[in-house]
Amino acid sequence: MTASTPLATTASNGTRPQPQRQPGFHFPLAKVSFYGFCSLSYIFLLSPLVVVVGASLHRGSRYTVVKFPPEELSLYWYTQIPDAHWEALTLSFSLAFMASILACIVGIPAALGLVRSNIPVKGLFSSIFRAPLQIPSIVTGVAFLQMYYLFGDLTGIYVNGTFAGLLLGHLFVGIPYVVGTVGAVLQRFDTRLEEAALSLGAGRITTFRRVTLPVIMPGVYAGGLYAFMVSFGDVPISIFLSAPGFVTFPVELFYGMENDFNPSVLASSTLVILFSLGLLLLMQRIVGLENLLRSGGGS
Amino acid sequence: MHSLLKLSVVAAAAGVLMMSASGPAAAGDLDGQEIKVCTWGGSWRDIQRDNVVTNPGGLEERGATVTFVTGSPQDNMAKLIAARGQPVCDVIEILDATWDQMVELDFVVDELDFSLLPNAKHLADWQIGKNFTGSWFTQEGICYNAEKFAEHGIPTPTTYKDLIHPKLEGLIQIPDITSGGGLANFGGIVKAAGGDENNVKPGLDLINAMNVKKFWKRGSEGVTLLENGDIWALISHVGWCMRGHKAGQTYLKFVHPIIDDEHVGVNKFGFLSIVKNSPMEVRAAAHAYINGYLDEETQFQMSSRAGTIPVNVNAQARLAQDPVLAEMAVLDAEGIAKEYRVRYKGIDITTWNDQWNRAVTQ
Amino acid sequence: MKARWDLILVPSFVLSFVLMAASQIIFLRASFYKDLGLGRQGEDIIFTNYGRFFTDEFYLSVLWLTIQVSFLAMLFTLVFGFPVAYMIARLRSRWAMVLLAGIVISTFITIVIKVFGIYIMFSASGIVNQTLMGLGILDKPWTVIGNDAGVVVGLMHFTLGFGVLVLYSVVQTIPRSLEEAAQIHGSNRWRVWTRVIIPLSLPGVTVSALMIFNMCMGAFTSAALLGGGRVFTLPVLIQRVVIMEVKYSMGGTLAAVLLISVLLINLLSIYLMTRMRKQRLVIT
Repeated sequence: MTASTPLATTASNGTRPQPQRQPGFHFPLAKVSFYGFCSLSYIFLLSPLVVVVGASLHRGSRYTVVKFPPEELSLYWYTQIPDAHWEALTLSFSLAFMASILACIVGIPAALGLVRSNIPVKGLFSSIFRAPLQIPSIVTGVAFLQMYYLFGDLTGIYVNGTFAGLLLGHLFVGIPYVVGTVGAVLQRFDTRLEEAALSLGAGRITTFRRVTLPVIMPGVYAGGLYAFMVSFGDVPISIFLSAPGFVTFPVELFYGMENDFNPSVLASSTLVILFSLGLLLLMQRIVGLENLLRSGGGS
Repeated sequence: MHSLLKLSVVAAAAGVLMMSASGPAAAGDLDGQEIKVCTWGGSWRDIQRDNVVTNPGGLEERGATVTFVTGSPQDNMAKLIAARGQPVCDVIEILDATWDQMVELDFVVDELDFSLLPNAKHLADWQIGKNFTGSWFTQEGICYNAEKFAEHGIPTPTTYKDLIHPKLEGLIQIPDITSGGGLANFGGIVKAAGGDENNVKPGLDLINAMNVKKFWKRGSEGVTLLENGDIWALISHVGWCMRGHKAGQTYLKFVHPIIDDEHVGVNKFGFLSIVKNSPMEVRAAAHAYINGYLDEETQFQMSSRAGTIPVNVNAQARLAQDPVLAEMAVLDAEGIAKEYRVRYKGIDITTWNDQWNRAVTQ
Repeated sequence: MKARWDLILVPSFVLSFVLMAASQIIFLRASFYKDLGLGRQGEDIIFTNYGRFFTDEFYLSVLWLTIQVSFLAMLFTLVFGFPVAYMIARLRSRWAMVLLAGIVISTFITIVIKVFGIYIMFSASGIVNQTLMGLGILDKPWTVIGNDAGVVVGLMHFTLGFGVLVLYSVVQTIPRSLEEAAQIHGSNRWRVWTRVIIPLSLPGVTVSALMIFNMCMGAFTSAALLGGGRVFTLPVLIQRVVIMEVKYSMGGTLAAVLLISVLLINLLSIYLMTRMRKQRLVIT
């Protein structure tokens, strides 16, 4: 299967996969067709990546666009990745990282407040937190840029074209994901645990740190990962908020292809695939993706 | 919590490692001048940086700092408008189509100082105005798969109308009106169909009659589709056709379409100018940048790579030695003079857009 | 001593609210002024921009098309995403992690690059068409470039990854023991799906579906790249109006209509959902 190639490295890490007997798959036909159907999604999602990785290995010339399957295998284009791509990747990475951390810092109290308080019209509050997902990103981009100029005119502080300005835009779309995932975990949270800790004399902060936080952590990771992915892949917001000298990676690629095509974009995209694999392995080592899995997604 | 901390430390360390510091600039006549340049991104920007900024004797050696504001001319103009004239950049590269709007909005300087632009003397007269210089131009036309045409008995096209052929249904690509070459090609099609700048309907009818599969935004997409046989003809500038040819699609041929009795082929221009609100202290560096852009070597590098035609006549002459380009492009002055250029002055592009949007949707 | 959860909410809420309100009010305000072109606006408050939208068949058809492709992309995301989410949720082995990684990685690569892969996969001589024609399912190549199907494919590349992750959490709320109990009582697999899994996951799936639908309604890049300039959805049109024509008034009007329609569709769905099942909604 096409899908299994890039994933093989992950599988070899740790224990061997155990064949599981699915409860209720009595006849192989149902089982096979179920897995077959599921693999369609993987082919759909991963096959363009296979093309990108494959084409990045084709030597060709600087005039080549996308050649798949590759004919003359070579790592040449990996040596030709321009500095601008590295700078853009660094920016995208720092931005996505900061945006996801900040989204957690803002999102956790928001989720706690939403789930546990008894404020009236809770639905309204939650829909305001969710709203950024419903605004088309291109509108968010232009609107933030206009807001920055207006703010600058009023205060003399122009955040447009700064890292902070870009970060704020990405934070804006990242928060709803954290509120969603942490909220989902909190809904299932047994508050008696906290009560027990409190009655045993633990302070409120200690209780939060030692009892509440560990339990909601999977939700935090899931939300943080979403915020990271959204920020890392964003084009429309970053087009407007990026600035002289620095653009995010997807924007660099977006514009890099407008007037010319440098085959090294395929090589740097392949590196992003490897990088995200590495990031997942790191998360696996530190938290265990199972924990992340357990918290599930945002609804 | 502990693990979160660990994760942050690892990630932050990685971020710091990846961050590269730039070295201090050498002393020179442009010391301390920081300019921002609005241009396209990717290798377009890289060629400029390598030939104008970081080359020996380039702006960096002379003490100036150059940063790039990348985007298409439309995007960069949208940024200028959102900034209400604040200097988003000092030097701006734009297209002929956007130029009049820039002037109308009073975004560019009234006059350039040509004493600081010695390279401008290598440009033809009509490529220079008091407040701009040309930067390059492209020749737009029809790039087609000669093998497929011959195989299916489709006659060699001489103009757009020849692409209306039952065997070419859904096998033609035209630039989207929002892409770089969109307005120029659309203008050419309109003219060839008997319309003009104020009456674009004949052009839209012609496009619909061609049964276009897709409107391209990036030439690289078109070249990929040509290679896979998904399209047989691509309306684009010489550069993309040359590119496909040099990458192994040797069956690609280029036609400069007949527009009317006087015109053959279509071209579009890049313009360079200085933004009005750009600070006076950096004007010397801004001029030096434009001058470097017009330099023979920069012009040659840019054109041989992207297939645009240099405005510097010396670079133009050198380009004639490239066999593929020499065959596809028109490099003699007489031929260039016959190329059709859209008159954008006084027309409302937004009505073109609006009519286009309504006409091309499925 | 009772914790003041409502106070904890305040700083986050203020930040989110200010960012949203300030940016949106500035942008949407433009929709009430006459457009003088190139980013300039008239002085008087008018409503003709909205009038123009609702009397012009072109704009209305764009809105309708946006809703259609978003709905289709949402539907297909559910159809393809739910089984995958279910499979990952029910696997107890390390494979779950590998499968999850596959989903996450696909989301990391921008559609700007993936689109080349999609072109090549769905090319007339590409693997998809050759396989389908070889199996006799198609008699001529099926193209996804420059038509509605292409936009749906593009949107799904944007939503399927998220969809799987979100639906995963929904499946997790169904206790495995319930499925086993149903089987012990003699239900076959089909009945377990129709009687246990689907009914129990329905509320969660509906909420996820709304989230996916909302993402599609606002998506620009994938719709623009695969629409091939022939399929205009509202975000694509907004981009054209704002960037190419620099008409903030019409851009603001289009954005307002988009926002309001999304909001109305959401409210309507939630209303229908609560009407259909008198169940308390979880906060999303």
